[in-house]
Amino acid sequence: MTGPALSPETESQGITVHVESFVGPLDLLLHLCRTNEVDLANLPIRTITEQYLAHLESVQFQDLESAGAFMVMAATLIYLKSKLLLPVDPDAPPEVLDEEGELLRQELADRLREYARIKALGTWLGEREAEQALLYGRTVAELPLPEDVPLEDLSVHLLQRAMLRLIEEQKRQAPRQVEPNPLSVLERMGEIIELLRHTWSLLFSSVAGAERVRTEWVVTLLALLELVRLGQARVHQAELFGDIVIESGPTTDTAPSLPSEDIVAQENEPTSGDSAHA
Amino acid sequence: MPEPIDVVEALLFASETPVEADRIQEVLDLGSAGEARELVRVLSGRLDGQGRALQIIEVGGGYRLVTRPEVAPWLVKLARSRTRSRLSRSSLETLAIVAYRQPVSRPDIDAVRGVNSEAVLDNLLDRRMIRIAGRKDSPGRPFLYETTRDFLVAFGLRDLTDLPKVEGELVIPETPADATSSDAPADTTESTPATDPHQQDPGAGGPELAPRG
Repeated sequence: MTGPALSPETESQGITVHVESFVGPLDLLLHLCRTNEVDLANLPIRTITEQYLAHLESVQFQDLESAGAFMVMAATLIYLKSKLLLPVDPDAPPEVLDEEGELLRQELADRLREYARIKALGTWLGEREAEQALLYGRTVAELPLPEDVPLEDLSVHLLQRAMLRLIEEQKRQAPRQVEPNPLSVLERMGEIIELLRHTWSLLFSSVAGAERVRTEWVVTLLALLELVRLGQARVHQAELFGDIVIESGPTTDTAPSLPSEDIVAQENEPTSGDSAHA
Repeated sequence: MPEPIDVVEALLFASETPVEADRIQEVLDLGSAGEARELVRVLSGRLDGQGRALQIIEVGGGYRLVTRPEVAPWLVKLARSRTRSRLSRSSLETLAIVAYRQPVSRPDIDAVRGVNSEAVLDNLLDRRMIRIAGRKDSPGRPFLYETTRDFLVAFGLRDLTDLPKVEGELVIPETPADATSSDAPADTTESTPATDPHQQDPGAGGPELAPRG
């Protein structure tokens, strides 16, 4: 089986400018066969391989997978070409392959033929679609929903997809914020008393923290008010919104102690009910 | 009291899916589906004769009332939008494979296209052009795909036999060849001589289509 008459002139013309993109290796190969007016039954491996490789450089791959598909085809073509370069029988005419190579070429030709059909059908469908796109009909009925919905066009697959979408959505959500244990007014009271043991004056801001975290400030204020009520601390504020100065209360002579049991019971609840005491 | 033909018009106007002759017969309490078809035929003739903006087309096994293509430009203007989003070439080719080979699995589709079709199939599933028909009894038990009624409607096909007939493997399964009405596109035949007897295997996934290792 000899290759069809592809004159050297045709081969040397080389560069083909193409604006359309190729959707796959078969698409590219088919394009080459068409532009060379090649009979698919007698695929000229040498020419096609060279042109295919030349085109490959200009193909823009959509993704790695499609790039791989193009490369597999390139490898097949190069393999076939290598067989031609090393003829088993030196007297054999050019473009003759051994049995395996011939099978491979035949398979390639079959696939190309098949793809040519599909491509033509795709074009036909595209034209139909364009025609139909000009016809407007109702797509959503105003009719009330039927009592039993026919499930003809549904499948388990849709359920699976819905589930996957849900999982994906969950994955995309930011990690959940874990709240630290709420500050306890009682603990803060203990801290203030502890501090007042070593110094006789404190600034509110130094206890509550300079970061001005709202909960810190609220809890500290409540703790302070509680201490004042119990007579364990005195506070004074020089000006509006000024820093509050905390001093040991009148009762600091007696050993400072943690608040009595009834307070403990009430203060175990976080800040919510505390203002009632203050 | 409205005439039956007016009721048919109302049915077609109000329905979102093609209305089958059987359904018209059922709703109107007609003697036969043939009567329903006759009513549609008369109504269709009336719409055509009066030069109305609406027409009746037969798609997906039923009838639809749609606008004529001539008025499309004004509808596009009304919608303040470009024409509808169309399927890509990859999608159309994949759809063609599914239409002719159904039910067909992804490995078989990939083999014909020479590239991975997963994303394309997902898109077609989302657009309800295809659906899962089951699983194939082959390694990995891949899904089998088939076209839907929405596919027929989108492409203005009465049924699958409206697809052009092609030589070779791409024969429609279990469909008499003489039922096809359209001619194959010229493209399909030019490079494929019809004298290839070994091409007549209509199998859903012939061994010659096995993906290359």
